[in-house]
Amino acid sequence: MGAEGSGPLTETVFYVLLALGRPLHGYGIMQYVAEATAGRVALGPGTLYGALTTLADKGWIRPLAGEAGDRRKEYILTAEGRAAVEAEIGRLEELLRNGRRFIKEGRA
Amino acid sequence: MSDKVIHRLYWDFEREEAWLNRMAAAGLNLVRYTWGRYQFTKGVPGQWTYRIELLPDMAGTQASRKYLEFMEAAGVEVISTYMRWVFFRKPAAEGPFDLFSDLDSRLAHYRRVLGFYGTLTLALIPITMSSVNSLARAGGLLGLMAPLLAVQVCVFAAFALNSLRLLRRVRALRDRKRLYE
Repeated sequence: MGAEGSGPLTETVFYVLLALGRPLHGYGIMQYVAEATAGRVALGPGTLYGALTTLADKGWIRPLAGEAGDRRKEYILTAEGRAAVEAEIGRLEELLRNGRRFIKEGRA
Repeated sequence: MSDKVIHRLYWDFEREEAWLNRMAAAGLNLVRYTWGRYQFTKGVPGQWTYRIELLPDMAGTQASRKYLEFMEAAGVEVISTYMRWVFFRKPAAEGPFDLFSDLDSRLAHYRRVLGFYGTLTLALIPITMSSVNSLARAGGLLGLMAPLLAVQVCVFAAFALNSLRLLRRVRALRDRKRLYE
C-alpha cells in the first residue's frame, strides 16, 4: 500500500465499511450506524447512496446477487475493504493513544 | 377528500421545502407536482417531512431510477418527480429527515443546484440584453414590448439572485470543511 490514499477515511466511509462486515442493505446500514453511535450519526440516505457507489467503484465493497426483482440490494466488504478499515482502525488507535496522553498530562 | 391545488413558483428549493413542511404541519400533504403546480391532499397534521433533491439526470434515466429505487427500499417515499427534481417524504414519527449527513454530499448537491440555476442565469443574459437592445432601437416604443421586457428582467434578476444565494451557501460549507467533515 503506497503513500497515496492512506490518509484518514471519512466518518461516513468508516462506518459504512464497519457495517458491511456482514451483508446489509441500505436501511440496515443506516440502522447499524444509528445504534453504534447512539444516534450521534444519522446517515442520510442520499449520502449513503453516494458512499456505496464510491466504495463499490473502488472495490472495497461488492453487491450481493439477490433474487431477481429484489429491490433491497445487499452489500458486503471485499478483502481490500476489510484491509482498508483495519488500517484505519490502526490509525485511529495512534490518535487515541496520543489523545489520551494529552488528557492525562494536559499536553501531548 | 378533495385535493387542493396551489400555483406557485419557487426558485429557492430550501424555501420551497420549508413551505411544503409548513403545509404538512397544517395537514396539507403534497401528492403531485408539475411546473408551478402543487397538489395537496388533506390529512393528519404533522404526519410527514418533505425534502427536495435535484438529480444529476432526468428522473426517467436508468441511473435516476436506480437511485429512486434505493431510496424507496431505504424507507423514503418518492412522492413526485418533475424533470430532474424529486420530492421525497418520510413519516415525521420516524424522526428528523435529512437527505445528506455530511458536508461532502451536501456540498455536491448545492453545487448541482448552483450549476442548474447558474446555467439558466447565464443563458438569460444574451436574451435579456437583446430585448433591451430591441426596445432601445425602437425608440422606447410602449405597448407590448415594455411589459415583456420588465418580465424578462425580473426573471433574470430572480435567477441571478438565487444563484448568488446558492453560491454563498456553497462558500459557507467550504469554509466549514476547513475544520470539519
